[in-house]
Amino acid sequence: MIEIKHLRKEFEDSAPLKDINMTINDGDVIAIIGPSGTGKSTLLRCINLLAEPTSGDIIVDGQNITDKHCDINEVRKKMGMVFQSFNLFGHMTILENIMKPQMTLLGRTKQEAYDKAMDLLYTVGLAAKALNYPSDLSGGQQQRIAIARTLAMDPEIILFDEPTSALDPSMIGEVQSVIRMLAKSGRTMMIVTHEMDFAKKIANRVILLNDGYIYDDGTPKEIFENPTKPLTRKFVQRLSVLSYSIRNTNFDFENFAEELQSYAEKLLIENDRTSKLQMCLEEICVNNLFILEDDIDIVFDIEYSEKKDELSLVVKYNGEHFNPFDSDNELFNSILNESTTVVHDEIRDPSDTKHQHKLELIFKWEEA
Amino acid sequence: MKKFFCLVLALMIAFSSIAIVFADEAPTTAEAKTKSGFTSIDDLNGHLLGVQTSVLYEELVKDRIPEAEWQYFTMPNDMILALESNKISAYLIEEVGFIAQYDKHPELVRMEELAGVCDYAVVVGNNERQNLLLSQINEFIAESSSNGFLDDLYDYWVMNFDADTSVIRSNPVFTGENGTVSIAIEGGYEPFSFESNGEFSGFDVEFMQNFCAKYGYIPEFNSIPFEAIAPGTETGKYDFGMNIVISDEREETAQLSNPYYHCNIVFVLEGYSDSDLGFFEKISESFNKTFIKENRWKQFVEGTLVSIEITFSSIVLGTILGFLAYMACRKGNKFANKVTEAITWIIDGMPTVLLLMILYYLVLNAVKMNGIGVSIVGFSLIFACSMYDMLNVGCNAVGKEQYEASRAMGYSDKQAFFRVILPQAARHFIPIYGNDAITLLKETAIVGYIAVLDLTKISDLVRSRTYEAFFPLIATAIIYYLLEILLTVIVNQVQYRCENEHRNKRKILEGIKTDEEFLIEQVEEQEEND
Repeated sequence: MIEIKHLRKEFEDSAPLKDINMTINDGDVIAIIGPSGTGKSTLLRCINLLAEPTSGDIIVDGQNITDKHCDINEVRKKMGMVFQSFNLFGHMTILENIMKPQMTLLGRTKQEAYDKAMDLLYTVGLAAKALNYPSDLSGGQQQRIAIARTLAMDPEIILFDEPTSALDPSMIGEVQSVIRMLAKSGRTMMIVTHEMDFAKKIANRVILLNDGYIYDDGTPKEIFENPTKPLTRKFVQRLSVLSYSIRNTNFDFENFAEELQSYAEKLLIENDRTSKLQMCLEEICVNNLFILEDDIDIVFDIEYSEKKDELSLVVKYNGEHFNPFDSDNELFNSILNESTTVVHDEIRDPSDTKHQHKLELIFKWEEA
Repeated sequence: MKKFFCLVLALMIAFSSIAIVFADEAPTTAEAKTKSGFTSIDDLNGHLLGVQTSVLYEELVKDRIPEAEWQYFTMPNDMILALESNKISAYLIEEVGFIAQYDKHPELVRMEELAGVCDYAVVVGNNERQNLLLSQINEFIAESSSNGFLDDLYDYWVMNFDADTSVIRSNPVFTGENGTVSIAIEGGYEPFSFESNGEFSGFDVEFMQNFCAKYGYIPEFNSIPFEAIAPGTETGKYDFGMNIVISDEREETAQLSNPYYHCNIVFVLEGYSDSDLGFFEKISESFNKTFIKENRWKQFVEGTLVSIEITFSSIVLGTILGFLAYMACRKGNKFANKVTEAITWIIDGMPTVLLLMILYYLVLNAVKMNGIGVSIVGFSLIFACSMYDMLNVGCNAVGKEQYEASRAMGYSDKQAFFRVILPQAARHFIPIYGNDAITLLKETAIVGYIAVLDLTKISDLVRSRTYEAFFPLIATAIIYYLLEILLTVIVNQVQYRCENEHRNKRKILEGIKTDEEFLIEQVEEQEEND
């Protein structure tokens, strides 16, 4: 069991970890996700003290490893680490890469180390390469060897630092399947990854790190399928959001059109959908809400989920309810009735939210 | 690589041979005695003339031929080669030196008009015995001049000198009750000081032996370049320096004795050779003079051993020293880094010969270390600087990731360095290491400046006896090439063994019982390919 209390890590010009508190239980398979530069790797490197924490405690099996008197080399023998760039020792054969650390650090005999190494090489499917050198192997093969090398030390926990980021897409699968096999064997693992599907499949716990804090912590189901916190939702669905609020009829639609244009260009959304969205927004606001309402208070968000490839328009307003299907604008009606358009029209409990009505239009990718 | 060496050598020998043959081709119809036709000193104005470094003979004629340009030579006999290859038009030398040269080179012609007369003194070392030694040497000079000993020496060594038969006649007994005196001599300067049968001989040597016998000293002769004699005695390293031309300026800074002989200074010009020896006879005569006569090959062997000793000791010590420095600086210790940086800056920024002379005369003077010891210290420092740089570059090239990966597994800092970083860094720097070792070997050729009789110095000394350039130079070059090939072979062997594909796979599996047939097959395949 590893307990992390008030962990903080500062570099000269940044503080990637501000205040981290968590407990890693035996058997946890934790996926650490989060936007780039939020300290995911730093957290992993702090746990085995490759990066020295600025303050806070890390307690491994009751022993505080940030204590000066702690023999970190002994602690590290219990923690394996798999790196993004494999880091196999270039001057040794694959076999020696796996045997030598066992002999040097665990005092195993050559025969014991060999038996263990070959056993693991069969497991990762690379026994035939035992006498080759790392430079003879592909990236995926090297990473499988790196995992075998870590396993040979019989670690209590394995830390994976973006194990597939440096790999060709064609090789990611072979490495992921080895890691999945380990996850099933009940080993404690922590994995920093950008592969959301992979995290969802193997983890029993997902942690979202943001801006130096743990923002969300839950099961894969909670995080990926029913995200409640806005940043989690935004992150796992890979949302890009544009937000506006309209308080009077002088809203500058031309300026909005320009901003929408550049937003669409950035995210590679085709013109067809943005012009539909723009047309709908103007119809809803100018032709209906502006007329129905006296005190104008409209908020609308434009969201694009890269993951689902869905562009959505959410309009929230107060006052009289507007039913989009009542509109007599034929073009607007035909858009609403397209198979790629989804309409959610809700009337919400005013005590709960600021705006009573919520109208959501989702524009899906039009399949040919 | 070896083929290349052989080709270069063959070319060098061929060119030298041609040069020798053409140099002596004499026109039979010539009327004039000299090739240049110069008869008076005034004719030499505006020409390039040779003189030995630091003898100051050029001062004698500077007023008469102000537009003459001077080229300075370390060894007097090199001026013969310069004259015969038309590098200079004439050179200045003592009459006695000319007599010795004329014996071997009858084509040389002495200009009738004298350039001047010089007095020669002994310079006394600037140390605590200076005043005592100065009065003793002056007393001995006065006595020797009144009882005819100096005249006798001059007669025997200068007027009737024969390079093959003249030997030190007295057999003095050194009681040594007053200790040892170290005496700086040129060593390649017939008839005053030269090597004969592996021992120093000549006017200066016999004179000083008699002095030492009389005053209870044991003489210790050091052969150093002429221009190093004055500075060497000035620092007190040597008690006596021989054959110093007396000048006003010198009397101000150095303690000079009264003159112990004086001599005419003459210009030497090139005449015609009447030698009728064929090409191969000349070669064989050269060979005979250079190696066989007086068992000179033994001196070459000794000189080679000295060069090897200095080179290999410096490589070993320099490697250790550089390694220790790197270990001290590796973790970013500020103090160690500053010190190493400063030392590297000082050593790398200085010409090697200056470094050696500073160590010899100043820094290590107090500990009385001999020239070989000082050379080893100097070259070890130089090699340590290279070693430090190599380790720095090599270890940086391995990268931080390898270090982190080994630390993350639980390797200690030292284990990570020695088992993971260093073996990989070595592959990056071993080729540079080999080059630096060869550079070091070549650079040791300057240790003659601090009285070490290494290969180059021996070749200089032999040339000063034989008055030949061809064989001593070529032989020396060949020996250096052989040593370089030896070094290259050693380094290549190490490099070869370090390469992944040449590591012995059977050794990796040694002592392991294995069921994996395919691994044994791979081992056997590697052995077949080798």
